[in-house]
Amino acid sequence: MFLNTNGYKGWIMVVLKNINKIYNEGTPQAFEALKSINLSVSHGETVVLSGVSGSGKSTLLSLIAALDKPSNGKIMVNGELISKLPDLHASTYRAKTIGVIFQHFNLLESLSVEENVIVPLINSGFDMQTIKVLADKSMELSAISHKASQEVKALSGGEKQRCAIARALIHEPELILCDEPTANLDRANSLKFIEILQSLHNMGKTVIVATHDPLFEGLSFVRKVVHMEDGTIVEAKDSE
Amino acid sequence: MRNNAFLHFLTLLLFKQKSKHIGAVLISVIIIFLLSAVLFLSSSLQYSLLSALQKQGDFVVTRIQAGKPANTPVAWVDQILGINGVTHVAPRIYGRYFFAPRENAFLVVGIDFFDEQNNQALQRLLKDVDLKRFFSKDSMLVGEGVRKFLEAHYFKNDFTFKTPKGTFKKVNIYQTLPKQANLIDNDMIIMPIELAREIFGLGEGEVTDITFNVPNDAEWDNIITKLHLLFYDVRVIEKREVKKAYENLYNYKGGLFLILYLVTIVTFMLILYQRYSMVYSTERKEIGILRAVGWSIKDILKLKFYENLVIVIISFIIGVVLAYLYVFVLNAPLLSHIFLGGSNLANHVTFVPVVKFGILGSIFLFYAVPFLAAVLIPAWKVAVTPPKEAML
Repeated sequence: MFLNTNGYKGWIMVVLKNINKIYNEGTPQAFEALKSINLSVSHGETVVLSGVSGSGKSTLLSLIAALDKPSNGKIMVNGELISKLPDLHASTYRAKTIGVIFQHFNLLESLSVEENVIVPLINSGFDMQTIKVLADKSMELSAISHKASQEVKALSGGEKQRCAIARALIHEPELILCDEPTANLDRANSLKFIEILQSLHNMGKTVIVATHDPLFEGLSFVRKVVHMEDGTIVEAKDSE
Repeated sequence: MRNNAFLHFLTLLLFKQKSKHIGAVLISVIIIFLLSAVLFLSSSLQYSLLSALQKQGDFVVTRIQAGKPANTPVAWVDQILGINGVTHVAPRIYGRYFFAPRENAFLVVGIDFFDEQNNQALQRLLKDVDLKRFFSKDSMLVGEGVRKFLEAHYFKNDFTFKTPKGTFKKVNIYQTLPKQANLIDNDMIIMPIELAREIFGLGEGEVTDITFNVPNDAEWDNIITKLHLLFYDVRVIEKREVKKAYENLYNYKGGLFLILYLVTIVTFMLILYQRYSMVYSTERKEIGILRAVGWSIKDILKLKFYENLVIVIISFIIGVVLAYLYVFVLNAPLLSHIFLGGSNLANHVTFVPVVKFGILGSIFLFYAVPFLAAVLIPAWKVAVTPPKEAML
């Protein structure tokens, strides 16, 4: 089974200090997407970022994922300052520490499920045999093993989602970021996703979900719900 | 270990995304095929011409009177032989015989079959000729083009020349010159010098020119000076000038194709460049996804480099092999007409396979470098943009 990180529970995993993100900075089209964001997430916590579209949830996730850089402020993950990481280190960080599940899945359409799942480990130094073993485990956890050899373009939305989850989990990341994971799923598939999320939580993974789906409200394993509006955190509510 | 997974993924992408690459491979094959065919053809022609030229005399001397070529006295042969360093001096009658009904011309070469001074090429040619039978009646050796032309005009065994005196001279067609020498000999007729003298109406003791060799090429300029001092009204044609003219001719024709090649390749590279640069392209999204799941810029460039290197190598091999078959097996239909020009007589040249590996290497570099640059530069540009933007 996957690495259980329950032993780290309570340690601070993610810290955001005074984060600002301004698009088109210094131009008349400048737009402040995030304003002075402060947030901390502990190891093993599942945190939901809620808010309407355009409130800044996805931008915040992309900064934590080092897919983009903040205009100001500091982001620390596992004690490592990732807000100013040079490319090579940012890539290593994405390849080792985090797994991202995108709203639009972002899969390589011409490849099969298994081939998509192994992509993050191609440059890891593992041999193909090890990668395949990890892929099998990851697909099993994501309930997509039965479609392993099927091309992604022939899959349903829910299956694509599970393929994206398997890809995000193959390298056993400590932090999993989900950007509007159920936005393109029907209710049944959304509930299936929540089940997978719970099993990840049970394994001690730290999960941050950006969503405006009401299905995430009142989930027992969600530790914190952070409500965002207009680029700011208006409410951070512990579920306990 | 690391390469195992990378190679697996590279092969996977190449096979799974065949349709994406097929267009690039096809265009590459066509460009490499055309360029290689042109270079094979021009190398082969140059080789054939230069090897034929190699066997010719180093110099051809013609008398000039009032600024125009005049008949050259045979007596000059002894005087030229008297110059130190000169060998193989041979008188020659050389001229075009016009065949009025079809406005074609044969190149008639009259030589002294018994003169040991004749150049190597002729000696080799005459080796298989039964001189006793050849001289039993007026005979000639004809090139393949001449034979076919005469046959088409019902001159199967002989041909009747018209002399300047208005008389007719019937000459037996003894043998056809070897097909391999068609490039040079296609429209050539070789006959005894006396017979040629009669057909062209030259006086006794007159020839059109004299050929000779100077083995020490350091002496060539001195010999030319001595010839001018000796005869004054003389034109000396050096083999090296002819060689240069041949080279220039085919380099010029090859150069025209090179320009076409450059135009084509620039257009193709722009298309490739645009494919990767486009804001909403599959390639761009693919790079964004790979970056998002932890691939570094270096990893992306490595993948794109090898992916496209495989395409370039496959296209190169297919293009070069097809060009080889087209030129040396099929004898370059269409393209050979462009290179051989509007030939006097229809010529069926067999191209000698000449493959210069330096040229092949150059073709590879001239193709691979712009191709890879056209892919890697935009790929790099996408790779350095935030993955979030690239995935849009």
